[in-house]
Amino acid sequence: MEATAIHALLQSRFGDAVLDYVDGFEKGSLVAPGRVGEIAAFLRDDPALGFESLMCLTGLDWDGYDATGKGKSVDILGYDELGRPEASDRVGDGDLGVAYALYSPRHGHKHALYVRVPRAAPEVASTAGVWPTAAWHEREAWDLVGIRFAGHPDLKRILLDEAWEGHPLRKDYVMPGAWQGVPLDGRDYAACKWDESGVTLPDDVKRQDAATGPETGNQG
Amino acid sequence: MTQDRQDYVESTTPPAGYDPRREQCLDFHVEEDLAAMAGSDDKNFILTKVDTLFDWARLSSVWPVTFGLACCAIEMMAASATRYDIDRFGAGAFRATPRQADLMIVSGTVTAKMATRLKRIYDQMPEPKWVVAMGSCAIGGGPYFKYGYHVVKGVDFIVPVDVYIPGCPPRPEVLLDGLMRLQDKIRGRRGGSKPPKWVLDYAAKIPYVKR
Repeated sequence: MEATAIHALLQSRFGDAVLDYVDGFEKGSLVAPGRVGEIAAFLRDDPALGFESLMCLTGLDWDGYDATGKGKSVDILGYDELGRPEASDRVGDGDLGVAYALYSPRHGHKHALYVRVPRAAPEVASTAGVWPTAAWHEREAWDLVGIRFAGHPDLKRILLDEAWEGHPLRKDYVMPGAWQGVPLDGRDYAACKWDESGVTLPDDVKRQDAATGPETGNQG
Repeated sequence: MTQDRQDYVESTTPPAGYDPRREQCLDFHVEEDLAAMAGSDDKNFILTKVDTLFDWARLSSVWPVTFGLACCAIEMMAASATRYDIDRFGAGAFRATPRQADLMIVSGTVTAKMATRLKRIYDQMPEPKWVVAMGSCAIGGGPYFKYGYHVVKGVDFIVPVDVYIPGCPPRPEVLLDGLMRLQDKIRGRRGGSKPPKWVLDYAAKIPYVKR
């Protein structure tokens, strides 16, 4: 079934909950965040659709884009050449979102679901009860992008430590200088010099260096 | 005797001031000092250092801890396998516990989470112990320097490093070379020190053999 036909079927079934047809890289439907669960159950159980496989669940950050999808992606912050975290006083705006890539092994067709949620309250209905694989994917989206999934059985971080602060794949995330005593910033490599003052060499090595000079010999 | 052979004999003439007793690990400087302390011209002392024997034993059996972090660990495994066979240099016994290991090969990206575990494993290793930073990630963060929010920008922030092996990832030959530089260090020589000129002259006469 074509993606446009699937979108029309969803619209006739769910009405206002299905908003727009998305003609992107993965063709699909933009749906309301609160009703993702029942739409997902219908997509899986309807014999004509049969989306039994959730291939991927991705968290998105539309920082720099407005509600209509117009705008430009912003540069993310990193570490500068000296290894210090780059800082910015810009406050992130734009929606967060979730993309579900679905595949039907029976019919061989694909469809995508898109969800936009406001940055201030990013909450989406969980689909972990529909596709069990969504449980870990939603934990990852919560860990890295900071999207809450209502009804998730065990929503906690999956990659980073539980004590981590912030969600690193948001575009306004400021890189940490350290984490629990572990330094994460760099050093000024240009100012690093090899200090031989504390190094004591055997006498014969010193004599070899004096005999051959600094320019000859292998540099191994 | 051919002309080449003659050159070889001439070029192996040791330089002035070379004492052959050095080859027998005799500390002849101490011997002279002891003779001076005894007020005698007779150097009837034979002294050697047991440190030399211990260091030889240590460098001949550097046992690494089984510790792989990322894709550099694949090259480390290749170095321990048949083709490169790191066991030829006595470092093939990868121990499953840090209590039996002398060497930690930090082979890969050190993340913030792993840094705490790495420090604990290092602390559990008995002295003397050495650390090799293998690959650009372990040296200075590598490709994760700019945007790696979770990557330690060099494992020497966490533990002291003896030998740095550059590469992304380094080939097994380079790991073997780094191991030999570590053995130089255990032997008391500076890693990468230059050989004497008469050795280099001899090496220059060896024809290049195509493999």
